[in-house]
Amino acid sequence: MLSYILHRILMLVPVLFGVTLVSFLLLHMVPGDPAEILAGQEATKEAVDRIRAEYGLDQPLAVQFVRFVWNAVRGDLGISIQSRHPVGELLFQRLRFTLQLSLASILVASAMGLVAGIISSTRQYSIFDNASMLGALFGISMPIFWLGLLLILIFAVRLHWLPSGGTGTLRHFILPAIALGSASAAVIARMTRASMLEVTRQDYIRTARATGYRERVVIFRHALKNAMIPVLTVFGLEFGYMLGGAVLTETVFSLPGIGRLLVEGIFARDYPVVQGAMILVATTFVLVNLLTDVAYAFFDPRIRYE
Amino acid sequence: MRRTWWIFLSALLIGAVALLPCAWAASQPQSGGTLVYGAGADPDSLDPANTDSNPGEAVGRMMNNFLVRFDAKLNLLPDLATKWTQSKDGMTWTFTLRKGVKFHDGTPFNAEVVKYNFERFLGSEKPLKASLHDPIIKSVEVVDEYTVKFNLKVPFAFFLNNLAHSATAMVSPAAHKKWGKDLTLHPVGTGPFKFVEWVRGDRVVLERNDEYYEGKPRLDKIIVRTVREDSARVLGLEAGDYDLIVRIPPEEVGRLMREGRVRVYAEQSNRALWVKFNVTKKPFDDIRVRQALNYAVDKESIVRNIYQGLAAVIPTLVGPLNNGYAPVKGYPYDPAKAKQLLAEAGYPTGFKTNLFTPKGRYLKDFELAQAVQQQLSAVGVEAALETSDWGSYLAALRKPPAENKADMHLLGWSPSTAEARWGIYPISACDQLYPRGSNLGFYCNKALDDLIGKAVASTTLKARDQNLREAQELLVKDPAAIYLLATKETVGMSLKLHGVINSPLELVYVDKDTWKDR
Repeated sequence: MLSYILHRILMLVPVLFGVTLVSFLLLHMVPGDPAEILAGQEATKEAVDRIRAEYGLDQPLAVQFVRFVWNAVRGDLGISIQSRHPVGELLFQRLRFTLQLSLASILVASAMGLVAGIISSTRQYSIFDNASMLGALFGISMPIFWLGLLLILIFAVRLHWLPSGGTGTLRHFILPAIALGSASAAVIARMTRASMLEVTRQDYIRTARATGYRERVVIFRHALKNAMIPVLTVFGLEFGYMLGGAVLTETVFSLPGIGRLLVEGIFARDYPVVQGAMILVATTFVLVNLLTDVAYAFFDPRIRYE
Repeated sequence: MRRTWWIFLSALLIGAVALLPCAWAASQPQSGGTLVYGAGADPDSLDPANTDSNPGEAVGRMMNNFLVRFDAKLNLLPDLATKWTQSKDGMTWTFTLRKGVKFHDGTPFNAEVVKYNFERFLGSEKPLKASLHDPIIKSVEVVDEYTVKFNLKVPFAFFLNNLAHSATAMVSPAAHKKWGKDLTLHPVGTGPFKFVEWVRGDRVVLERNDEYYEGKPRLDKIIVRTVREDSARVLGLEAGDYDLIVRIPPEEVGRLMREGRVRVYAEQSNRALWVKFNVTKKPFDDIRVRQALNYAVDKESIVRNIYQGLAAVIPTLVGPLNNGYAPVKGYPYDPAKAKQLLAEAGYPTGFKTNLFTPKGRYLKDFELAQAVQQQLSAVGVEAALETSDWGSYLAALRKPPAENKADMHLLGWSPSTAEARWGIYPISACDQLYPRGSNLGFYCNKALDDLIGKAVASTTLKARDQNLREAQELLVKDPAAIYLLATKETVGMSLKLHGVINSPLELVYVDKDTWKDR
């Protein structure tokens, strides 16, 4: 197991190199120039060229790439061309908000998703089942942007219960977590229901019931644990996406997360910021996948990693 | 029945008496409180000499002072300089400085500080806005501790405007020596509010400067929050999370004004929007075609229908509030005349062309381009719209004529020195053709350059403004662009907030007198 985890972590190195290379090439293929954007409309070409030289943007691409990788390996991700903030510091700040938001959202998603999924599967075709699956359909279909604005309108503008956006307290994360978590909740609910329905039709569940276990024990101890594997996959993927930044949620609720950093970085052609953020997103995604794989082994001891 | 009446009446009376002190208190300026300001974007830089964005300049104006400054109507007032004289030939300016001013880090303000600040522009560091002073100032001399003399390279009628430009804020030499280019992360000025922190993408925090030279500011603290999404800013204001927001979408203005729960101001800005011709391309080399296209666009209808009145039609490249703006007669909407001119130029059935436009950079920019496209098509000119994000857009426009694909392009231009020359010269003069300057339409008219040159060399305001008027008349006769409109800036604020400055430079900020009901 340990050597498996170590192996997977080592695999990060080629993945990160690939991500860095591809994002570097893509970024430089897009027309636009960070120096031009920074200098603005009024700037002379001379002023733009000075900025290009300052950040080494006048060097050949290969030189720029090697320099970036060499510095990155030594832990120096450079400074933002847009604002001169050190990229490492920016990523660290943003990661904190993104982690908080992702954890809150996945909590909302799994609480809502698992409960709805389990009840739906145990009372198949009941009113509750139909209602929660209809709700799940809404959850998946509703644009986050719209849902977010609606939540702000109700809970911030009309009821004054929660802040409309920004950061500061944990209360600031409640509405964004609901907005971001509801789509995942819907996916998790549907997956839980399907998986539970399949498992509860298995022989060993019938045996468990025949042995005289109470229904609650059958569902939670015998069925749920085995039904968790596919749910876990969805859970891991959703969490991975959340950690990769939730641009829309971050924008509606004015949260400074990784997603906005990345998108605003792309618009400003802020190469060091975009590359740093790409590396961070790739790393978290790989690590979350790894955690998911390790969790499989917990739920199904037959799964072994050599 | 009778009793109910009594209860009702006495309740009314008690209510009125209870409200009286409130009404009285509301009219009295109060001290204390935190202002939460919802800005549309992060500053680009907090080092004045390196900023080129409205959020950066607005935050800067709360932290800094200038030798002379603009008031809310763009008049020039004394600030760190109390008085000044100009030599007869216009080549030297002498300023008397205010005594007893201190930077936030304790550095005293004096003539040496002024010299240091300007030598930063003239020297090897070359901050972004070096081109503001470098071509004009030859040297700065310290006459005595509180007197400073500027020797110019050329007489320059807009020198005071340049000194009031956001970039010319006085920064602490000690801080600049310590931080160099990273002054942007550790700004130190003399203004009413001191820098506390800048968490990018989230907030800039400022606190009261108790030693401010004009007296202690009323507000304790200012939090400038980055709220990118327009509707989130409006909802946040309505929810009471922000006291002040910028850029309200025109569709929302009517509702907010009707409901009256927040205050909404629309202030004319000096930002002009126009569609520039690339005169190196046919048929835009023909003056008749350029005139025809000006006749073809119904500006009034655009202002009414797309901007819901939040813009004003302008006759040339210059917005109405700039020093030296002349209300010359522009082009009326006259499609018949447009067709006739096109026919004379040899295009009786019109022609095909393109129109480059940004999307989301200026108020309703893309909608504006679409309207222009439709109205041109009515006189037979079919312009294909090309749009992209700002970075790609700049890259496409900032190209020499041979590689430049834009036949026409839409841009906004806001003279940050609030004078008409800046509205014309950098984008239309012969010696400012890209790559030397920002003239991306490659328009060149020597007579226009002469008039601007004469305005610059004028030593009286009257002569200066007369030359500028003639320049604007010439721009009508020989159009460099389809002249469109100047936008208005809408600001929303809580009913509790008083004394916010909504400058026509598109800068919304507060000063020491801004106050909030407790």
